Amino acid sequence: METESVSEVVIVSEYDIVLARKGIREAAVECGFGLTDVTRIVTAASELSRNVFLYAGEGVVTWHVLHGAHVGLELRFIDHGPGIEDLDKAMQPGFTSGRGMGMGLPGAKRLMDEMLIETEAGLGTTVIVRKWLSSRFE
Amino acid sequence: MAAKGKQTTEGLSWWEQASSYQRLVDSVDDYGIIMMDLDGTLRTCTPGVQALSGYTAKEVVSGNFAKFFTAELQASDYPEQALSQARDKGRFSDEAKMHRKDGTAFVSSFAIAAIPDEGGVVRGFSAIVRDVSRERGAEEDVRRSNAYARSLIEASLDPLVTISPEGKVTDVNAATEQITGLTREALVGTDFSDYFTSPQEARAGYERVFADGQVVDYPLELCNVDGSVTPVLYNAAVYRDDHGDVIGVFAAARDVTAQRLAERRIRQQSQEILELSTPVMQIWEGVVAVPLIGNLDSQRTQLFMERLLERIVETNSPIAIVDIMGVPTIDTQTAQHLVETITAVRLLGAQVILTGVQPSIAQTLVHLGVDWSGITTRSSLVSGLKVALDSLSLRVVDRETGASRS
Amino acid sequence: MMTSGISVMRLGAVLLVAVPSDPDDDTIADLQVRIMEALNGSSAQGLILDISTVQTVDSYFARTLTETVQMVGLMGGVTVLSGMQASVAVTTTQLGLSLGPIPTALNVDRAMVRLQELLSERQI
Repeated sequence: METESVSEVVIVSEYDIVLARKGIREAAVECGFGLTDVTRIVTAASELSRNVFLYAGEGVVTWHVLHGAHVGLELRFIDHGPGIEDLDKAMQPGFTSGRGMGMGLPGAKRLMDEMLIETEAGLGTTVIVRKWLSSRFE
Repeated sequence: MAAKGKQTTEGLSWWEQASSYQRLVDSVDDYGIIMMDLDGTLRTCTPGVQALSGYTAKEVVSGNFAKFFTAELQASDYPEQALSQARDKGRFSDEAKMHRKDGTAFVSSFAIAAIPDEGGVVRGFSAIVRDVSRERGAEEDVRRSNAYARSLIEASLDPLVTISPEGKVTDVNAATEQITGLTREALVGTDFSDYFTSPQEARAGYERVFADGQVVDYPLELCNVDGSVTPVLYNAAVYRDDHGDVIGVFAAARDVTAQRLAERRIRQQSQEILELSTPVMQIWEGVVAVPLIGNLDSQRTQLFMERLLERIVETNSPIAIVDIMGVPTIDTQTAQHLVETITAVRLLGAQVILTGVQPSIAQTLVHLGVDWSGITTRSSLVSGLKVALDSLSLRVVDRETGASRS
Repeated sequence: MMTSGISVMRLGAVLLVAVPSDPDDDTIADLQVRIMEALNGSSAQGLILDISTVQTVDSYFARTLTETVQMVGLMGGVTVLSGMQASVAVTTTQLGLSLGPIPTALNVDRAMVRLQELLSERQI
């Protein structure tokens, strides 16, 4: 009797980034996030989806609501691309990887509450980010 | 090893003589042993019968076996049926109520066996009778205390459930049926975790109980078939059999809907308080102002930033006067947020005039290494307002003299 | 592959572009092309980019915006960005996106005023 629903978008082109944004926006609004937090979530999602497309060519974005003591939204960005060679460097603000702009990882981390990255050179990358509804008033 | 006893004249050992058998039978005192003829007339009985029934051997011999049974059983011909079964089948055993000399009843366990003579013809019966009322009574007690426990469980307003080590629901009470909208039959045997918004968390919960022995205040959300969800806190512990082995988990849920509502209300009030303490007011067409008072923490500053930006857009005000005269100290992170606020206001198409910067704050802000040269600052809100009016090409004029006051 | 939703309007010496609410990458790229085309061979000197309906500004959008402003500048024009939403301003700042020293205005009316100021300053 699961009332959780996992939604996903397969990224194979730039248009899928907008699809992911729209779906995640709906989910964030439904969760009860205020407008500013919704914007933060959607913007982070846009950056991370873009990474999937730019660096791996294709991948999957999934999102689902987290229940329990607090309500939150979790987004996952999974690809089987080249992976991130130097994760520490990628997390430095202002880091560019040759395409003229950063991977947006530190920025996305800033906008969300939690970020977890699993990456292996040659195998791919999974980025998980979460934002909690009542994180402000803990 | 055969005991080499004294030889008697009959050639049998002491052990084998009939009198020794008598002694054997007489020594059994928790069973009554009887011999009776074919119609149930008692011929012999052991002292054990007296212990059992209170009657002496003399009192019962020549009486009928049927008389041991209670009046109801005698009236229904039960003793005769018992004997005729023994006659037909060779044996009959059962449990039935008998009565003692003092009138009290007891539950007996008896076995009747047909005794043939040397020729194989049934001459009579043996009967062995034992008083088992204590055991049956104990069972009755157990049953009564079980019924009592059950009534307590059903009366509980908290949904109760037992979970097997495989994670299946083994029992539920009425409150559980109510909160899930399903019957006991539908629930028992299914997975406990199926009924929660997060099955993973539910599973992790009972696994923790099996591992640690108990879990207290574990938060979950129970689903009803009608779609409604109830936030609950679980208290659960393992329960064991007589040997001390774990049978399963006993879990009680506490409905915390009211609690959650209260928490949400407190959060809303906290937000309202925060907003009240950072009021962004429109003081003129095109000018908003906010006096920040007290220590600014990261959370408050973030909220302030969002409020300020929203108000600027709402009121179409290109100028925002932020007065921090009432802020004694500021930490690096908050200073960072302040810088971000000023940048964000610029992106909107407005500008910040920062007023009332105290010396200690000025130090912190400069040490941040931020370029403050582009930001307009003034020592007081009044002078900040003068700058605002000027940039809006407005002037305050003394009505009497016509002199400019700003 | 929809490129609808972008209209480039001419008001005297000013080009006005209202950016749609959730543009995909192609639309954003097309925006740049259309602006360049409109500027080319016209007497327009100023560009107002109105983003009052835009809900998400990510790094791609920001980069294209900055490039467009630079291109317009190189061609002798001035750009004013108008109507950024409050939540976008917060997010953009926290994301660390820099839009460069681009002039901004609360809405199109004020953008017009600002543009006139900037253009008249230039004639000095």
